[in-house]
Amino acid sequence: MPGFERLPGPGEQPVRPREPNERVGHVSVRPVPTTWLPGMKQAAQPIGYHLPPMKRLTGERIIFWALPAVAIIWIAAFFLFPGFLPPMSPEWSAQRVATFYADHTSRVRYSMILFNWFCVALIPILMLIVERMRGMAHRTPILRYCVIGVAGAAPIAFLTATIFWLLAAFRPHRAPSLTQLYNDLAWITFTCGVPFLVALCLFLAVAIYLDERARPVFARWVGHFNLLIAVALVPAGFAGLTLTGPFAWNGFLSFWVKNVAIALWLVVMAVVLGQSIRRDQSVEQVLV
Amino acid sequence: MRRPALLDDPKRELWLAWYATIGFYSLYTVVFFIITRTQPPGKPWYTPTQVVGWFASNHEGLLIGFSLIFILGGLSATSIALITYSMRRMSVSRAFAYSYLIIYAVSAVPGFLFICVAMTVGAFRPGRDPEILRWLYDLGFLSFSGTMGVFLIGSLIWMAAILLDKNRVFPAWFGYLNLCNALTEVVVAPSWIFHAGVFAWNGVIAWWINVVVFGLYTGAFIFLLRNMILREDFGTGPLPDLLPEEGRRRVLAEFMSP
Repeated sequence: MPGFERLPGPGEQPVRPREPNERVGHVSVRPVPTTWLPGMKQAAQPIGYHLPPMKRLTGERIIFWALPAVAIIWIAAFFLFPGFLPPMSPEWSAQRVATFYADHTSRVRYSMILFNWFCVALIPILMLIVERMRGMAHRTPILRYCVIGVAGAAPIAFLTATIFWLLAAFRPHRAPSLTQLYNDLAWITFTCGVPFLVALCLFLAVAIYLDERARPVFARWVGHFNLLIAVALVPAGFAGLTLTGPFAWNGFLSFWVKNVAIALWLVVMAVVLGQSIRRDQSVEQVLV
Repeated sequence: MRRPALLDDPKRELWLAWYATIGFYSLYTVVFFIITRTQPPGKPWYTPTQVVGWFASNHEGLLIGFSLIFILGGLSATSIALITYSMRRMSVSRAFAYSYLIIYAVSAVPGFLFICVAMTVGAFRPGRDPEILRWLYDLGFLSFSGTMGVFLIGSLIWMAAILLDKNRVFPAWFGYLNLCNALTEVVVAPSWIFHAGVFAWNGVIAWWINVVVFGLYTGAFIFLLRNMILREDFGTGPLPDLLPEEGRRRVLAEFMSP
């Protein structure tokens, strides 16, 4: 509103008049000017924009450092759930499944409540990656939209699995065939529910490969790494086809390879994300 | 190895998303219509014993087909991203684009993951109590055709954006086709109530008419998104008209020259 602009406080930089197309408030550095074209390999020059009084990276660092805390909860919940070590077998009879839930009711409940609370904490982390993607040498926001498009569904698929596990443990003495049904729904949703994670890794790999600059946001090997993780997640999609062997939901490929791949992805992406945020921060300090 | 020409195309991200969209809808059609035979859907009036027979006759198809969706289903995000981009290119508020993106992003779980899970769980253990198998059968088909609000509100948002837009990104007739698509979600609501007849989930109105409208709509928007990419000038004003191929090549060459 004209006439109501905030005046600079003591010690603050005076507010520079805004350009017609300027994006205000979130971008301090735009390494990709709008005239960038593929094939133009010149080093990106940071362009100084007016910085809002509260630096955006402060909030991003808070989200980032919440990740280790959340990861500890994820790991704790993983060990607390009695059906993961070793994973329950799909060959179990309905009676055995019912006995399992009757014997371990509390641990199933507490671990799945923890997962239900905290699995969606993945979304803010993915949004930090989306924010880093703004700095990539892309002409359009398409790949960011692709990542946002799968970022919600990936943890929500897992959240749905926790609901089935909790339902199985809610009345462990119901008919065993119904407990087995909930158990099957939970394990199939958990194991096969990888399409959004596969797509996430593919989108990130493409985004990183297309960020063709001397100093890309994420190094090229991070793209290869995402492709590798996407491939590691693929066998889990076939868990419905068999009750035994490496593809079964408790098998080497569908359980161990898939879950280790997800854990590894989180660790590696957290490290490269942290480095990227630190790099932005040093640029921000120079500009201020 | 020679560098593929696509990598030097300024519209490469748009083209990649467009080809992935084609790939996703082809996979979707093949899986639902051919491999799993869940389209046209099974009969809503089947008795539990008939449902057992249905699962038995589609056993391998269901498990293999939905495995493919479990792996590649996330590529649906590419068409959502392109449509979101189309609204960002319009002269309307970003609220339209972001609403569309979030509606479609969260609907993937009830809209297509549920049918994959329910049918896989059903086919996975054929010896289950027939009543439970029918419960899974209902869950699969009704979650699939009965997740309605996404297409209803999503199409209305896209329609409003197209009709308000001054940048000529989409023709007005496609705006109205969005309304037809939204109406299919209105007439599918009775499939939650009727077990047989034109309104049942496999009925003439709730399935046959809807699938024709949805097919035309999807074909139209894939074609129009291609035109949008060809016309895209990376400006903020009205999109230029679609030139013949010779003209497009000339414009691209001028655009690429330093």
